[in-house]
Amino acid sequence: MEGQAAGEAVMDVSLPEGNSITSGENTVWADISPLLDAACRDLEDGELIHGENFNLFAAMSALEIMDPKMDSGIVCKYYSVNEAIENGAAPVPISLDKSVDVRCTIDIMDHLLACEATWHKGHSLAQTVFSCIYLLRPERTSSHALLHSFCRVMRATCKAVVSVVSDARTHEEEDLFTMTYGLPLNGDDDKCLTMLNAVEETTCRQLRACKAPSSKKRVIEDIEPLQTNLELEEGYCRALLCRLRFRKHFYHVLACLRRPQGRGLELARKHIASCISELECALSSSEFLRSVAFGTYDDQIEDKTTASGCEPIGFDASLNCRLSAPTPPRAIKILSWKKAVEYFIKLLHDLDVICSYSLDPSLESVLHFVVQFQKSQPDLVARAHLQRLLVQDGKLYGQDPVFAVITRAAALPEATKNHDIQKNEFIVQLGQLVLNLLKILCTNSAWKRRKLGKIIQDWRVIYLQLELAFKKEFGENASVSNDENVCVKIFQHILLWVEEQTYWIASQFLILGFELELYSPSEYCMVYWYIYVVSIKLAEKTHLKTAVTCGTGKRKGKKKRDCLKDVARDYRIPPAVLFLQCQICLAEGLTMMLAALRNEHMMFQSLNIFNTEHERFIQHFDLLQKACIPDHASYPSFNESTNYARLSNLVMYNYFKDAQRIAKEVKSSFSNDPDKLAELRRLEQVAEHNNVALNVICRVGVGDPSLKVSFEFNHHPYFATAVVKRS
Amino acid sequence: MESKKNEEEEEHGTEKLEFEASEIEYVSYGGEHHLPLVMSLVDQELSEPYSIFTYRYFVYLWPQLSFLAFHRGKCVGTVVCKMGEHRNTFRGYIAMLVVIKPYRGRGIATELVTRSIQVMMESGCEEVTLEAEVTNKGALALYGRLGFIRAKRLFRYYLNGVDAFRLKLLFPRQDLHPLADKDDGHGHTDHIPSERCCELH
Repeated sequence: MEGQAAGEAVMDVSLPEGNSITSGENTVWADISPLLDAACRDLEDGELIHGENFNLFAAMSALEIMDPKMDSGIVCKYYSVNEAIENGAAPVPISLDKSVDVRCTIDIMDHLLACEATWHKGHSLAQTVFSCIYLLRPERTSSHALLHSFCRVMRATCKAVVSVVSDARTHEEEDLFTMTYGLPLNGDDDKCLTMLNAVEETTCRQLRACKAPSSKKRVIEDIEPLQTNLELEEGYCRALLCRLRFRKHFYHVLACLRRPQGRGLELARKHIASCISELECALSSSEFLRSVAFGTYDDQIEDKTTASGCEPIGFDASLNCRLSAPTPPRAIKILSWKKAVEYFIKLLHDLDVICSYSLDPSLESVLHFVVQFQKSQPDLVARAHLQRLLVQDGKLYGQDPVFAVITRAAALPEATKNHDIQKNEFIVQLGQLVLNLLKILCTNSAWKRRKLGKIIQDWRVIYLQLELAFKKEFGENASVSNDENVCVKIFQHILLWVEEQTYWIASQFLILGFELELYSPSEYCMVYWYIYVVSIKLAEKTHLKTAVTCGTGKRKGKKKRDCLKDVARDYRIPPAVLFLQCQICLAEGLTMMLAALRNEHMMFQSLNIFNTEHERFIQHFDLLQKACIPDHASYPSFNESTNYARLSNLVMYNYFKDAQRIAKEVKSSFSNDPDKLAELRRLEQVAEHNNVALNVICRVGVGDPSLKVSFEFNHHPYFATAVVKRS
Repeated sequence: MESKKNEEEEEHGTEKLEFEASEIEYVSYGGEHHLPLVMSLVDQELSEPYSIFTYRYFVYLWPQLSFLAFHRGKCVGTVVCKMGEHRNTFRGYIAMLVVIKPYRGRGIATELVTRSIQVMMESGCEEVTLEAEVTNKGALALYGRLGFIRAKRLFRYYLNGVDAFRLKLLFPRQDLHPLADKDDGHGHTDHIPSERCCELH
């Protein structure tokens, strides 16, 4: 494998004289065949001459020619698009029989939809949508108005989607999505709708003409029917119309969503509704198309890529293999047409959720919205749109400067947002962190968790820097002027808020591990313990912030009486904090229950061949530990709090009962917040079930080997429920 | 990098061979004559296509980390690894692990991988990593028992579009537990009880 053999060989080889070709100063071209021959003779079987930078990536990038698993060229039917066209793979018109031509055009439209959905789901554009030969040669279809207009809007749509995804940069690991080299995407975008409208208008008139009673027929006789079989005229017109209209409205949706500062959202919603209704029409046209194609209504089209169930004409996925990344060819299974329609309906619903958001300027509400939105597992295109809406030109929704967003989040008076302190370099950095956080929250869960893990450190560091700057400037607070007083307050509020936000990020990081299935049951105990310690800090900061908010209101002089009332109620814990406390009780209860089960040898005996629980703890929480989140949370402290857990103690002091009680109590405070109410109900259920399970285990008897305890997530996505069974 | 072929583990149906654990012979990678055995096994069982450069990259640079399992002269399993500096950490990496179907569930994979990890540990590695398909329950269970955690999920990592987990095993640092038990199995683990073994990649 090492290249020394070649080095020695150089000695013996003399370059043939007279054959050299002058190529410039001090350099000549020379024939190195003898050198290579000599080198080869010196190489043992399996040795390789390579540069110093030869690494695993280089080794893996090597392709073996003629191996169908690696050589993407070998699987091609045609060597070029032109050859495919010459062989009649994509005729224009598709058929001289107008009826067949229309049928085939509809198949092409359907297959394109399936390809488009497959592309959105993470495959390359070249091997999905642009497996369509008609799309690859824009000029060829110009004589076929239907196909031509459809192809144009397809290309324009792809371009718009690529653009929003690349702008958003939410696609890190989905980078296949935006690779468009070699594809004819740059057409005249604005004209595409004009053509499409014209074709739609014609088809509309054809539909009207064929439906008109015979008496009126003469009036509109000059309209040539869509195709030759008059019995099928209406069905074909309808099937075409919904497909054309879907493309039109979808293109409008994308255009509206692109408007700055969310100005097109309302209009986008109208087009979204139209898109969905056109897709429903397309679904119902399937029966007609199938009966025309096969003569019978046949239900065997579940995995077909067209509504009719026929193979489309004019596609060859292998043509573009060579345009894909320098990797072995990916096996692409194009989604079925039905699945593609389902995908688009889901996408449209997700976009509708984004459009119906009120662009609330409060950061807390934005974060809540994004987290909720992500629960429906939106795909890349929807996530990219959300991100573009949230962060434009370094401002929230392209309108609220980030410092204003921060001051509002930190419960500072409205006027603070213009304070000069925003020019402080750390405040500027903090602004970047906030925007970055928003972007990260829009990415796919796997990527999101990794990024959140990394930025925890950044948030911690900015906190320390702000604190330092604050101390340096206002170290001796003996005599502070009025203006300084304002600065002190700003710093204090912001510091508190940064801490709260950091713990929120940490808890999101921990929770996402459940969604991604990163924890094994034997690790649940330490994970819940960590969630518990982070949640306590989060609740503490939230509580403090709420107390401070009231102070702000007072100083503003407004609603003095209300505020006094608030002070009177201060002894009561605010609902947001009680909500967190409910989760804290559950996390602590689960920690203790899992620890007790382990301590009493009822589950999770680990082998510890190469390492121990200590190493696993370090690995899972390394990023949090490095950022001291929270302070003093370490493996020894985890051990200390769990080593003596016993089931008998747990029954005496039952955390689950506390959780249940708090959930019940706090519900009334969230009566107008359905998300929070639903969450409280889930928490209550987990608490109730675990309470019962705990009692069963204790009653039936610790140490009963036939008793099997397992943990499931059937009531809550990350708070587990114990399931007790007798084997 | 390993990734299983799509035909699911499912092998409850396939007939298992009768043999004693002691009949399996484990050998360290011994040269070019072993390479075709390794390649054909991996080609058969894993979904990713690897070029011969990839195989040679591993077995030439780290022959001591690759092992083969034989049963009556037939190669039935193999493990291929590397180690090196990665972001200031000396780290081992398990690239491929395969046991052919009739021999799964008998601890052969555990034994193969344990041998590699042992050498890595003795060579001063601080940790060991690998990737496995999220759907490969057998492999995940195997590595879980050896102390690996799922450190990350890698979105659509494989050519077939499946996500992967990055698994990591951190070795204890001497300064972390000065009193670490000497008898908790660190030394000799050639014999892992067979009921703890599982089906494979």
